[in-house]
Amino acid sequence: MRLDNPAAADELRTRLINENKTFTRRLWVCGGPGCLAAGAAGVFAALADAVAGLGLAGSAGMSCELSGCLGLCEKGPLVQVEPEGWLYAKVTPADAPEIALETLSKGELIVRLLDDPKIPLKDDHPFYKPQRRLIMSRMGRTRPDSLEDYVAAGGYSALSKALSELGPGEVSRRVEASGLRGRGGGGFPAGRKWAACRSAPGPVKYVVANGDEGDPGAFMNRSLMEGDPFSVVEGMTLGAYAVGAAEGFIYVRHEYPLSVARLKKAVGTAEERGLLGENILGSGFSFKLRTVEGGGAFVCGESTALMASIEGREGQPRVKYVRSAERGLWDRPTLLQNVESWANVPAIVAEGPEWFKSIGAEGNPGTKVFSLVGQVRRSGLVETPLGTPVGTLVDGAGGGARPGRTIKAVQTGGPSGGCLPREKFDLPLDFDHLPAAGTIMGSGGLIVMDDLSCMVDVARYFTGFLSGESCGKCAPCREGLTLIGRILDDLCRGRGRRGDVLELASLGETLSRTALCGLGQSAANPLLSTIRYFAEEYREHEEEGFCRSGRCQGMFVPEIDADACRRCFRCAKVCPARAATVKSKREPPEIDLGACVSCGACLAECRFGALRAAPKKKTGETKARESSKPTPDDSSEAAAGRCSQAEARTGSQKEKKGPGSKRRRS
Amino acid sequence: MSAPIETMVSGTINGRTVAVAKDTPLLQAARDNGVGIPTLCHHPALPPDGNCRLCLVEVGGKLAASCLYPLREDGFSVVTESGKIAGARAFVVKLLLSRAPEDECLLRLAALYQTAPDPRLAGDEDGCLRCGRCVRACHAAGSDAVALVGRGRSRKVAGAFLEPPADCAGCLACARVCPTGAVKFRETKNSRSIWGKEFSLAPCPVCGRTVGTPEELARAGLDPGGALCPECRRRAMAGALLALPENAAPKRG
Repeated sequence: MRLDNPAAADELRTRLINENKTFTRRLWVCGGPGCLAAGAAGVFAALADAVAGLGLAGSAGMSCELSGCLGLCEKGPLVQVEPEGWLYAKVTPADAPEIALETLSKGELIVRLLDDPKIPLKDDHPFYKPQRRLIMSRMGRTRPDSLEDYVAAGGYSALSKALSELGPGEVSRRVEASGLRGRGGGGFPAGRKWAACRSAPGPVKYVVANGDEGDPGAFMNRSLMEGDPFSVVEGMTLGAYAVGAAEGFIYVRHEYPLSVARLKKAVGTAEERGLLGENILGSGFSFKLRTVEGGGAFVCGESTALMASIEGREGQPRVKYVRSAERGLWDRPTLLQNVESWANVPAIVAEGPEWFKSIGAEGNPGTKVFSLVGQVRRSGLVETPLGTPVGTLVDGAGGGARPGRTIKAVQTGGPSGGCLPREKFDLPLDFDHLPAAGTIMGSGGLIVMDDLSCMVDVARYFTGFLSGESCGKCAPCREGLTLIGRILDDLCRGRGRRGDVLELASLGETLSRTALCGLGQSAANPLLSTIRYFAEEYREHEEEGFCRSGRCQGMFVPEIDADACRRCFRCAKVCPARAATVKSKREPPEIDLGACVSCGACLAECRFGALRAAPKKKTGETKARESSKPTPDDSSEAAAGRCSQAEARTGSQKEKKGPGSKRRRS
Repeated sequence: MSAPIETMVSGTINGRTVAVAKDTPLLQAARDNGVGIPTLCHHPALPPDGNCRLCLVEVGGKLAASCLYPLREDGFSVVTESGKIAGARAFVVKLLLSRAPEDECLLRLAALYQTAPDPRLAGDEDGCLRCGRCVRACHAAGSDAVALVGRGRSRKVAGAFLEPPADCAGCLACARVCPTGAVKFRETKNSRSIWGKEFSLAPCPVCGRTVGTPEELARAGLDPGGALCPECRRRAMAGALLALPENAAPKRG
C-alpha cells in the first residue's frame, strides 16, 4: 500500500505499535556479520523450527526473528529475549528446543546460556554498560528488511514531519545547528556541507552515501547497512529534500553482498510505499535513489575517488581545492556523507538539534560506533557518546587484555590511524583530541594490541597495506610509501642501520605534507605515532636488532620465567622446531637456543606470561653485523658509510643496475 | 585576457602584489608575473593533474599544488620558495630519481635541492615518472590508446590489457610530451614503431616528406593515402586563393 500523505506514515506507525503489543515474548537472533559468521543462520533456522513445532508462532503471540547486529560479536551467536531483556551468548542449534520450550513459552531463564551467569540482563553486561545506542538503536529489535518494523520503531517520522511542517530550509538548519560532524573520518562539520550544497547554484544536485568501508578490522558501516538500511535511506531522502537534489547514490562496497542486497531491497520497498521516487508522501517532492557497487579499491572510499568511480572513471582522487558541495559528481553540487552520518540525520530532524547536542562532548555531539577488535577479551561493535575515554572502551566494554597478556596500545581510525599507548587511555575519543595525539578518528576502528605486538612491525604492516592500496597517482604516496615500507622491512628483519628511524620520521612528515589526497596525507600516521610513543622499540630494532615483543623473527630468543611457569608444556607442543624439550614434569621445558628459530609461537601460546622475548646473545654473525655499522665517532665517513652499507645491499640484489652499484665501482 | 574588472582577484606572490583573473591557476599567475616554479607533470597544452607534487608552494602557510590551485579570493598570500617547500621538493625529486636516475632535468633539480636517489628504491629504473603527460596528450589527440594501469608502485603506462593498443594512431603525441623521453619509438624513412605497434609512414605526394601515419591522417579527417604535408598544403591553399578571380592582381595605371 502506497503512503500518499505525510500523516499516512504516522497512522501506519500507530497501527503497527498496537499490533506489536499483542506479542507476549519474542526472540531476536542476532544477524550481524559476526554472529552470522559464527553460525547464527543455523541457530535461527533451528529456533524457527522449534517455535513452529511447539505451535508458539502466530496466535500465541510469540515469535523468533533475525535482527540487526547486537554488537557483542566475540560471544556470538547471540539471542536476545524480549521483553525480559536477557541475552544468551554462544548459542548453538542444539540449544534451540530448550530455548523455545523453557524461555519462549514458559519465560524461564536458562542460566547456562548466559555469558556471565550472574548477569542475565543485556543492559547490565559490562560490554553494554558504557554504551549509548542511537545509530544501533533499532538493531536487535527490528527485522532489517522490514519497513513496518522500521516505521514502528519511529522510522519515517522525521520525513513526514519534514514534508508536512518543517520545509527544506528548517531541515538543513537543524542539521547545521546540531553540530553533527562527518562520521567517515574527517569530522568535517556536516552542516557546512549542507549549507554550501543548499546555496550552490544549479538545477541539478546529488546526494551520495559512502558505504565503501575498507579498513581492516572495521565493520560498523557494514552492520549499519545490513542491520538498519532504512535509516540510511531516510537520512538521504531528508538530505535530498533539504538541498534540492532529485537523485542520489549509495556507494556500497562490492565485497559486502548482504549490505548491497539489503540496501537494494530497502530502496525498492521505500519506492513501492511512496517513500522514495515520484511525489514522496504526496508532497510533490521526488527523489530517485540508486545503489552503486564499489570498484574494489581501498582508495574508492576517498570521496573524490568515489565520485570518479560512480561516474564510471578509474577510482582516483582529485585535488580538493574546490569542495564537492560546490563541484562534485559530474561537476554538480554534491552532498556526500558516510552512511553513519546519514543514519544520524532522521533522529536529528525529528528530535531537534538541542537533543542531539545533549549527547556527547563539547564540539563533538552524538555517538560513534567503534569496531573494537584485536587482543581484547570481548571484541565487537560498541556505540558510545563521543568523548568517551579510550580506556572505557578497551577495558570496560572490551574487558581488557586476554589471559597472561597486558595491553600495550590501541590503534584508532583504521590503517591510516595512529597508535595510542596505554598512558593515553584516558584520552577522550573525539574529533579534536585524537588528532592532537597524532592519530585520527577515521571511521571508528579500534584495534587493541597487547605485549606480543611489535610496534615497528605494526607500522610495517599498515604501511605495507597502504602502499599496496595506494592508487599510485601522486609520487609521494606511490614511491614514498614504498621507501618507508622497505626501511621498516629492514628494521623488522634485523637489517636496520643507524639513522633509519630518524630518516623514517623525516620521510613520514614530508609525505604527510606533500601527498595529494587525504589517504596519502594520513598514510604516515601509523609510522609517526609509533615512533612518537614507542621510540625505545625502534631504537632496539635499529641499534640492537632486538624485538622485545617476540614478533620479528630472528630478533629475540625465548626465555622462561620458572616461577611464573605452570608446567602446562603448551609451548613445547607448539614449537615447530622442537627446540623446547620436557625433561621433567616438575621443571619448565628446556629451550635449545641452537635449534630455536625464534618464531615466537611459544610466547603466543603461553597463558601465564611466563615466556618473554630476550635479546639474542651475540654470536659471531651478529658481531660481524655490528662491526660493519658505522659508529657515531666515524663521523667523517658517516655519509659515505651509509652509502657503502646501501651498496652492499644493492649489490647483493643480483647486481641490479642502479645508482648504488654505479657508485661502488667509482 | 580581457576579464571584467569585478572578476579580478588580488593578493601577494613572494610579497609582491599581483592581480589576476579569478580562478587563474596559481602556477600560471606566478609565471605571468615572472615567478618561476619547477614542474614535471605539468604541460601548458594539457589539463593539469597535480600528481608529481613538484610545483608545491605555500598558500597561507600550507603547501598546495600550484598547477591546480585556483586563485578565487582576494588577499591570497603565496610564497614560492622556503625551507618547507625546498624540503618537499627535495623529497619528490629523491623519489622520482629512483625511476629516472639519469634524467638531466631531474639531476639538475637534485643538485638544486641537494638530494640523491635512495638506494633502497633501486631496481625499477624505467625512466618513467608516471606523470601521465602521455596519457593526457593521447586523450587530447583523440585516441585514449594508452592509460596508467595498475596501482601503487606497479602503476605504469600501457595499452588496454597490457597489449599493443588497438587505438594507437602512432602520432607520437605521447613521446613528444614525455618529460624524460621514456616513451620510446623507432622511426625509419618509411616506418615507425611505438607501443609495440608498427606503422607505415605516408609521404607528401608533392615534396615526398613524411606526413604521418595513415591512421593519424585518417583520425584528423585527411586522406590517409595522399595528404599533403603542412607546408605543401599551405602552398596549395594559397595558390587556390590566388587563382580566384576576385584575388586577381588589380591592373596598375
